[in-house]
Amino acid sequence: MLYDLRRADLPIKWLVTCLLATLGISYVFGALMVSLYAGFTPERVAATYGGRAMPMPMPPETTMVMEHAMSMAEFARPEVHEVDTNLLIQDTHVHVPMYGVIAAALSLVVAGLSLSQGWAVALITLLFSAPWLDFAGMWLTKFVSGRFAPVTLIGGWAMGLGYVAVAALAIQQMWFRTRGVDR
Amino acid sequence: MNLLLRGAAIAAVLHITPVVVLVKRPDAVQTLLPGADSYVAREVHLSDPDAHRLHGLVDWSPDDGVLTFYRGKAGGTDVGALTFARVDTPHGPIEVAVGFTPQGAVRGVVVTKATVEMKPWVLEAVGAGLVERYRGLKPGDVPAGAAALAEHTGKLAVYVAGEVDKGVARALAAYGAFYNHVRA
Repeated sequence: MLYDLRRADLPIKWLVTCLLATLGISYVFGALMVSLYAGFTPERVAATYGGRAMPMPMPPETTMVMEHAMSMAEFARPEVHEVDTNLLIQDTHVHVPMYGVIAAALSLVVAGLSLSQGWAVALITLLFSAPWLDFAGMWLTKFVSGRFAPVTLIGGWAMGLGYVAVAALAIQQMWFRTRGVDR
Repeated sequence: MNLLLRGAAIAAVLHITPVVVLVKRPDAVQTLLPGADSYVAREVHLSDPDAHRLHGLVDWSPDDGVLTFYRGKAGGTDVGALTFARVDTPHGPIEVAVGFTPQGAVRGVVVTKATVEMKPWVLEAVGAGLVERYRGLKPGDVPAGAAALAEHTGKLAVYVAGEVDKGVARALAAYGAFYNHVRA
């Protein structure tokens, strides 16, 4: 195969390494942002995308008022970051194209690795399907059931797994694997 | 490749920056309900017709159908009420706390949240006296903070003032229509 990162010139290897490092930094900060706003447990993801448990299953026939005492500590309690439908539409519109670009960039790295076609196709599938799962989980959590929150978590972890697998293989093959490679 | 790069650039430009807390809720509560030592949350669960009525007034009704007001008392004396209103903008959400006197006039407005991108615009607008423009408004009045700032600040501060106007208008409409007119 003409495109083989093991045999690539030094500038190409350096380019791929810098790309992986940059994506790695963005993934680390992406994970930190998730921990700030949505969390890593199904309960927090369900609360973020599904909203609070509805106090009433349907709007009342006539407007009703409920009152309860509040303490100042309750005002200080951290709020659940809720993503409503409009924000989810905006998030999907903004993030999915970017995830596609990232998956495409990582897939180009995969194409230059020494892997069987089956493994390469599997990795590329993982890279693209992870963000699909991530957002499918958000939409299902919002409109079907909070029980779909784990789908978002699986999608998020799968994105991380895909990146780590590609980065580890690429670094190992470009910089550490010398046996059987014509230079 | 050109298409990919353009897509990436557009996505980067449109990316909504994270929400930042400008004023913590307890601090906003203490500012808008001065001296209060006890609080009651008053949740108004809107019927469909009332939700539509509110929507007709300010082109908005709450997503979950619930308006929440917080009433403050100092000893046994009513200090007033406040509500938090959120406005979704193309740049992300902004939240304003609107406090009312016991007589039903706006005591004050505090911008509690914005996005990282909007924060400097909010600070410029608030620094130019935006929130003072709302003091004394009553339900039925139209907030005009953006118009008041138009000659004195940059365009982005005026823009954000328009979004704060929307939040104040929502709070005024909700308070006027539902705070005292529905029995607990």
